[in-house]
Amino acid sequence: MLPVAWDTEGPQRVLAVSHNISSQANKVRAPRRQETLEMAEVKVKKETNLSDPAEVENRIKELCQQFPHGITDQVIQNDMPHLEPQQRAMAINKLLSLGQLDLLRNSAGLLYRLKDSQSTSKMKGSDNQEKLVYQIIEDAGNKGIWSRDIRFKSNLPLTEINKILKNLESKKLIKAVKSVAASKKKVYMLYNLQPDRSVTGGAWYSDQDFESEFVEVLNQQCFKFLQSKAEAARDSKQSPMVQRNSSFATSHEVWKYICELGISKVDLSMDDIETILNTLIYDGKVEMTVIAAKEGTVGSVDGQMKLYRGVNAIIQPTGLVKTPCGLCPVFDDCHEGGEISPSTCIYMSEWLDF
Amino acid sequence: MTAQEVRLCGLLLQEHFGEVVEKVGTHLLKSGAQNLRTIIHETGLSVDLVKKSLCVLVQHGATTFSSGRKGPGSPTEYHTSCDRILRILRYPRYIYTAKTLYGDTGELIIEELLQRGHTTMSSTVKTVADRLTQNMAEGRTMDYTEVSLTFSKLVETHFLQRCPPLPGVGNKDSSAPSETPATPGTPAAPVNTAPPTPESFPECYKVPSVTLIGRGKRQLASEDGEEQRSAKRAKMDPETHGDEGIYWQVNFERFHLHFRDQTIISAVANKLDQTSSEIVRTMLRMSEVTTSPMATCTKPLSANEIFRSLPPSYNILRPILDQYLTLLVDDPMEFVGKAGESGGGMFVVNLHRALANLARATLESVVQERFGSRSARIFRLLLRKRHLEQKQVEDFAMIPAKEAKDMLYTLLSQNLVQLQEIPKTPDYAPSRTFYLYTVNQLPTARMLLQNCYKTVANLIERRLFETKESKRLLEKSQRIEAILASLQASGAEPEQLTEVEEMITAPEKQQLDTLRLHINKLDSAENQVDETIFLLESYINSTNASS
Repeated sequence: MLPVAWDTEGPQRVLAVSHNISSQANKVRAPRRQETLEMAEVKVKKETNLSDPAEVENRIKELCQQFPHGITDQVIQNDMPHLEPQQRAMAINKLLSLGQLDLLRNSAGLLYRLKDSQSTSKMKGSDNQEKLVYQIIEDAGNKGIWSRDIRFKSNLPLTEINKILKNLESKKLIKAVKSVAASKKKVYMLYNLQPDRSVTGGAWYSDQDFESEFVEVLNQQCFKFLQSKAEAARDSKQSPMVQRNSSFATSHEVWKYICELGISKVDLSMDDIETILNTLIYDGKVEMTVIAAKEGTVGSVDGQMKLYRGVNAIIQPTGLVKTPCGLCPVFDDCHEGGEISPSTCIYMSEWLDF
Repeated sequence: MTAQEVRLCGLLLQEHFGEVVEKVGTHLLKSGAQNLRTIIHETGLSVDLVKKSLCVLVQHGATTFSSGRKGPGSPTEYHTSCDRILRILRYPRYIYTAKTLYGDTGELIIEELLQRGHTTMSSTVKTVADRLTQNMAEGRTMDYTEVSLTFSKLVETHFLQRCPPLPGVGNKDSSAPSETPATPGTPAAPVNTAPPTPESFPECYKVPSVTLIGRGKRQLASEDGEEQRSAKRAKMDPETHGDEGIYWQVNFERFHLHFRDQTIISAVANKLDQTSSEIVRTMLRMSEVTTSPMATCTKPLSANEIFRSLPPSYNILRPILDQYLTLLVDDPMEFVGKAGESGGGMFVVNLHRALANLARATLESVVQERFGSRSARIFRLLLRKRHLEQKQVEDFAMIPAKEAKDMLYTLLSQNLVQLQEIPKTPDYAPSRTFYLYTVNQLPTARMLLQNCYKTVANLIERRLFETKESKRLLEKSQRIEAILASLQASGAEPEQLTEVEEMITAPEKQQLDTLRLHINKLDSAENQVDETIFLLESYINSTNASS
């Protein structure tokens, strides 16, 4: 059983590899080319009630054009009831190998669809292996596919794969994109596709580099916004409930503020802003509550809204860290009578003379 | 009794009671309960000295004695615990609190009691009155009744308590655990063998009726020698005042509750605003004597009661108060909780939770100061999310992978963060195991507490070292001061005085000043670390009680 490339959109495409088709639902056998020739000879010898193979192919192509979504084997059979299954199979095989027909599978069975001529022209000059690899990469969409996965799916040896990939790259049909997750890993995708967020890392990565300064700047801006809001609320001297409620900002408001600031070259979504606000929570500067909101109010997600508020720390820096021992890097090595001891401690001397 | 605690206790004993007591004390700390003969044998000191040191330790409550292991007939054994000795570090804080609450009189009473350990009310009152009179203007003296009044107030608010009678002496007073002043006559419950706590006696907080009439004596210059003698020795006073045998001691637990309340109030003030902290202060004040020390939260108080008990300076309207209470309940820190709806809403202060939050803030602040704000971010992230993989830590904290890795490993090497392995296969193959980072608050708090003890011991040692370095200089300055004082007293001329003053050269004076500065700095640092110690100890004790 040959491996099949799965495509998640629409009916699934089955690849015709070299000379073999794998079909499970249908009874169309996969004849070898040699057999086909034999069959053709036999057919010629037989009664010429049957059409010429080329005729059959043309007919099938016309049918495909009639039904752009694809035709099943049943349709062909209905159209040409006198055609024997082997002839049908042969014609279909021929079209597939020529790259004019696409073999797809959906829940009902196998479908044949006319391939657009543009894509067929691209592949002129490439042999079937390259076509196969190209199809695998195309199927991977904008997430890209790793070379090892290509090998699994096509069952071709590694050297072959590498040669083909180089070839395709030189023809500018595919490109390699470095994945942000594992820096050594390269995924291949079609040349004109935009890589997916999970590969490039999204808004925080530019060219595989994590942009710390960008994150820091955003961090500070969000914090300032929330802090000023909290201060305005505190100064307004209204009843405490109103004060607290006005010091809250929804994630949507923060997002709007950041967009208006225009410090970001890329578009940031609300999720991005929420990750930044989460880091502020982990800094202990901001707290968050979730309230139920009616669907349709701006900024609500699944009937909830997240509210953020700037807060102060609950204690001052603790007493231990006001002494040099609290911050000493060699704290564990220090004991009386040793080389590092309280009596001779240089950190203490500096601190005392401060 | 960890090594750090023993070291610190040794230093404290040495500073306050001298080397002999220190030797006996540390020996007892290290070796547990022992009888007199063993102590003498192992410390190598003479019988007299050991007996006296044990007296000192018992007087201050650091050592307790009980009959030996083999039964009532065997020699008594002495047992020291380091808790009581570590309290010595906190004496300045106790005295300061008494001063803020009860003025100078209260301050002096507490100071007296701390210095003497156990004393009777009458002797305390007399001594305090004398001291106060000394500092007052000429011609005015302090009345004993004023001092007695302050003393009674201290007892009423439970800051002072009676020392429990010695076992075997006052059998009629055994058990009936109640701390409210009750009439003597409660039925005696069976005696338990555990050492009785002071509060298991019904008369713990009962002020004896003492006849103390008189005024403080001013110490005149001519009576120098006499007064000194009488101040140092417990001079047998010919007058009796009706309270013989009733000794008082400072109730440290009550002070600790007070400190804890103060910390909670200031935390609320920092987080919310002044009015909320006032409300919490009122709630805590109302529950001062009704809540047991180990309670998880105070007794529920209705909003009506709180409204009535608010200080009159805060004219908050009733609906505003309700709003504040609702805000306090909604706050994520959960200082205040709602326990019911009767009476306009029943509210409690969540003590254990507040302590846990404060301890957590302490840990976070230590990490922040020591390792930087990004490491603090990782630390807080792990506290919130409990268990995370390394990749998740990087993603949540938005720190580049290399730096996040570095910080995590530093925290791990300092034992602030732990690693939890979850294997996918029975052999713990590293490639097939999940490694999760986590922070356990309680063990980390314990570790930091030991670090605090070590820090305080280091500070004390440094102070002693600095003093020793400049010993010669200090002695010289003391001599000169003594000469100056005697010259002034005998009415010398200004030239003589200046001549004496010039015996200290300018650089020496500067040296003395820097020395003074250093010693003050080290002293205040000790107090600051003690605040951390207090927080962490309260937190650890609260988890002990609830578990």
